[in-house]
Amino acid sequence: MKFSKERILKSKLTWAVIAEALILLVCFCIRPDFFSISYQPSTGMLYGSLIDIVNRSAEITIIAMGMTLVIALGGTDLSVGALVAVAGALALKLLRWDVNEYPTPGDYSVQPFILVLLVPLVVCLLMGLFNGTLIAKFGMQPIIATLVLMVAGRGIAQITTDGKQFTTLFSPFRFIGQGSFLFLPMPIIITIVVVAGVAIFTRKTAFGMFVESVGVNRSASRVSGLRSDRIILIVYALTGLLSGISGLIYSSRISSCDSNNAGLNYEMDAILAVVIGGTNMSGGKFSLAGTVVGSLIIRTIVTFVYYFGVTAESTMAFKAMIIAVVIVLQSEPVRNMMAKRAKSKQNAVRGGVHA
Amino acid sequence: MEGKNILEMKGIEIQFPGVKALDGVDFSLRAGEVHALLGENGAGKSTLIKCLTGVHHMDAGKIILDGKEIKPTTPQAAMDMGISTVFQEVNLCPNLSVAENIFVGRQPMKHHQIDWKAINRRASELMERFNVDIDVTRPLSHYSTAIQQMVAIARAVDVEAKVLILDEPTSSLDENEVKRLFAVVRDLQAQGLGIIFITHFLDQVFEISNRITVLRNGHLVGVYDIKDITKLELVTQMIGKDMNEIFNMKRVEVKEGAKVLVKADHIGTPGKVEDISFEIKEGELIGFAGLLGSGRTETAEMLFCVDKPTKGTIQMHGAPLNAKIPLDAINSRMAFCPEDRKRDGIIGDLSIRENIALAVQAKRGFMHPMSRKEQDELANKYIKLLAIATPDAEKKIGELSGGNQQKVILARWMATEPNLLILDEPTRGIDVGAKAEIQRLMIKMCEEGMSIIFISSELDEIIRCSGRILVMRDGKKAAEVPGATCTQADILSIIAGEKKGGATA
Repeated sequence: MKFSKERILKSKLTWAVIAEALILLVCFCIRPDFFSISYQPSTGMLYGSLIDIVNRSAEITIIAMGMTLVIALGGTDLSVGALVAVAGALALKLLRWDVNEYPTPGDYSVQPFILVLLVPLVVCLLMGLFNGTLIAKFGMQPIIATLVLMVAGRGIAQITTDGKQFTTLFSPFRFIGQGSFLFLPMPIIITIVVVAGVAIFTRKTAFGMFVESVGVNRSASRVSGLRSDRIILIVYALTGLLSGISGLIYSSRISSCDSNNAGLNYEMDAILAVVIGGTNMSGGKFSLAGTVVGSLIIRTIVTFVYYFGVTAESTMAFKAMIIAVVIVLQSEPVRNMMAKRAKSKQNAVRGGVHA
Repeated sequence: MEGKNILEMKGIEIQFPGVKALDGVDFSLRAGEVHALLGENGAGKSTLIKCLTGVHHMDAGKIILDGKEIKPTTPQAAMDMGISTVFQEVNLCPNLSVAENIFVGRQPMKHHQIDWKAINRRASELMERFNVDIDVTRPLSHYSTAIQQMVAIARAVDVEAKVLILDEPTSSLDENEVKRLFAVVRDLQAQGLGIIFITHFLDQVFEISNRITVLRNGHLVGVYDIKDITKLELVTQMIGKDMNEIFNMKRVEVKEGAKVLVKADHIGTPGKVEDISFEIKEGELIGFAGLLGSGRTETAEMLFCVDKPTKGTIQMHGAPLNAKIPLDAINSRMAFCPEDRKRDGIIGDLSIRENIALAVQAKRGFMHPMSRKEQDELANKYIKLLAIATPDAEKKIGELSGGNQQKVILARWMATEPNLLILDEPTRGIDVGAKAEIQRLMIKMCEEGMSIIFISSELDEIIRCSGRILVMRDGKKAAEVPGATCTQADILSIIAGEKKGGATA
C-alpha cells in the first residue's frame, strides 16, 4: 500500500482526526487548562477534561462498534437505544427484586451478582438475534425490522420495572460505571477491551472481509460460498450484546434505571459516529478506528458546548451546527478539492525545480 | 453513404494513475453511419466513450459536435447535447415500469402533474417501433435481459439524440433479438443519427457497420472502410498478432476409461427446468447450448445449489450429493462462474486480492483466516497466470474492465482447485484475444483432469472446444451431440425443434 499525500487527504479518517483536533484546539483556547490531567489519590483515578470525554463516550463507542458492522452490511439498527434501557431495567430489577417491600436502597443485591450481569447481556443478545432473524430469514428491511424493538424495547423495560425508577447502592454494580482500574475510569477500560475484541474478531479472522463482501453484494457472496444469513445473524446479535454492555455501564453510572431516558437517541449518535468515521451508509468497507474517532468527536462537541457557556435549551442546535460542519468537511467534493490542491501544489513545486 | 462529420474527436489524451489510457486518439463520426469501435480489453474503447459522455475528463484534445466545440462534464450534460448511450450492462431501474424507465427524468407534464396516459401511450408506440409487443406498465424486472436492453435503447433514442452510442448492446441477446435490434439501428441510421457501435462480435460488425476504428493500448491503429478490410485483417489489427496462431487449439476429448464424476438424474425445478439428465466424466469438457431461458443456466444453478433442484438426484463419484447451499457444492469441489457477473460475481468495492481469496476463504470458514501474505501470493499468482491487467492486487475489482473482472472471478474459482468447473458465458463481452486465452485455459485445465461445463450462446466456440454438446430447449434436453462432427446448422435446427438430435443418452 502506498501512502501518498493525496491518498491521505482523500481519506475520511484523516478529516475526522483533523476535525477532532480543531475542536480540541478551540476548547484549549477558551480554557487553557483543558489538557491538564490530575491524579486524585482519594479515588485512585485520573481527572481532566480529556479523561472525561473518553469516559463519557464509552456507551456510544461500544454500541458504535456493532453499528459499524451493521452499516457495513448495508443495514441500520435502530433498537440499540431501547436495548440500553432494557439492560438497565433488568439489572436493577434483579438487584432490587424486593423493591416493593424495602423501598430504601442499600448496599446489597437480592439476586446473585453474576445473574445481574448475565441476564441483561443474554436478553440483549437474544433481542439482537431477533433483529437478525427478521432481516436474514424474513428478508425485512433493517430499518423496519429494528424499529420493532426500538418501540417494543422501551415497553419491555417499563414492564420490567413496573414503570418505576429505582436506585441501588450495591458497590460492585456501581463499580462498573463509577470505579477505576489502573488509574482509569472503568468505562474506559471496558471500551478498550470491547474495541480490541471487535477489532480482533473482525480483522484477525476473515469475518470483517465476509461482512464487507455481504454488504457490497449479498448475491455474489452467496454464490462464492458465504453463509450470508449466518453473518447477518452474528452481526445483529453482537450489536445487541454490545448495547447490553453499554446499558450496564449507563445504569451503573447513574446507580439507577430509567426506562424512558436511558439510551435515548443513542441509535442516532452511534450511526453518526460510524458515518463520521468514514464507513459508507450503503455498506462495504468499514473502519473501526474511524468510528472511535467519530464517537470521540460527538462527545467532544458536547463538552465544547458546555464550555462555551451555551444555555441548555440551545445545546442541541449548537451540536447540530458543529456536526454539520464536520460532515461537510468530510464530504467527497471537499476532500477531492483538498487532495487536488495538494497535488497541484506538489506539481508546482516540481515544475519550479525543472524550470 | 457520405454524410458530413457530425462528431469529431481530435488528439484525445487521458491519463490515469500510472497509465496513459488514451494517447492522441482521433475519431470521427458521420451523420447516418454506423461506426464500429473495436479493440481488445483495455484498448481504450470504453475510456473514449466515457470521455465523450462526460464521465472521464480529458487531459488534452478537442470534441466537436455539429461544428461546435463541446466539453461535456457529466453524462446528463452530454445527453442534453444530443449524445445518448446504452451501456453494456443495463442501467435501468428494475422496480419501475417499462414506461417509467423510458421517461424517468423527463416525464411529460399536464397541469403540473405527470401525464401518465401520455407516458404509457408514447412508451407503447416506441416499443412497437422496435417490434416488441409488451405491456409497458409492468415492472421492468418482469422482462428478460433482451427486452430490458431494448427498453434502454428506446430510452436513449427517444431523447433528441444526434449521436447514439451502443456499448456491447448485443452481448445478452439471441440471434432473433439481434436481428430485431439491427432493424431498429438501420431505421435510426436512415433518420441521420450517427451511431457508435462497440462489440466483440465481428460478424455483427461486418453486418451493420459502415466504418471501423481500431484502438490498441490507448493508441489509434487505423480507420477502415468496411469494404476495404477482411475479418482476418481486422483481428490482426486489433491484437497485433496473427489470428490463426491464436485459435489453433485442439478439442478436449475424454480419455479412455475416465470415471464418471457427476451424474444428474431427472433433476428439475418448476417453471425453470422440467427434466434434465446427464453425466460428466473426469477431464471432460461438455458444452451446454440452447437459447436464453432454455434451461442452460438454470441447470448449472441447480447443480451448484444456487437454486436447489426440487426433484431428481445428483451423484458425485457415485455417491449422492447432499448439498443445500453453494458452500456445500464448493466443499464437494465444484466451482461456478455465473453468467451475470455484476450481480452474482464481482464484489465491486473489494480489491482484486479479496475477490480472488473469497471462495477459498469461504471454504475454510472465517475462523481460519488466510494470512495477508497467503492472500497476496494467491492474488499475484493468478494476476500473472491469467494476465490480469492491473497495476497491483489492491485495485478495486469494480474499476477493472469487463474481461479483467471475468478473469478475477475465474481466478477465484481456480484457487479452490475444483474437480468440476461450471462456466456460464465466460467469454461474454470480452475481446477475441481474451476469449482465446480463456478457451485455451479451459482446455489446459481439462487436460490436467478437471471437468468443465461450458455454457455459451456462441455456437462456434462451443463446437470448437466441447467434446460433447448438450442442447436444451424449453427446460428439457433436446439432444446430445458430439462436438467433433456436428455443425452450427445441426445445433440450430435442434434448437429450433426441427429434428431430434443424434445420440440421445
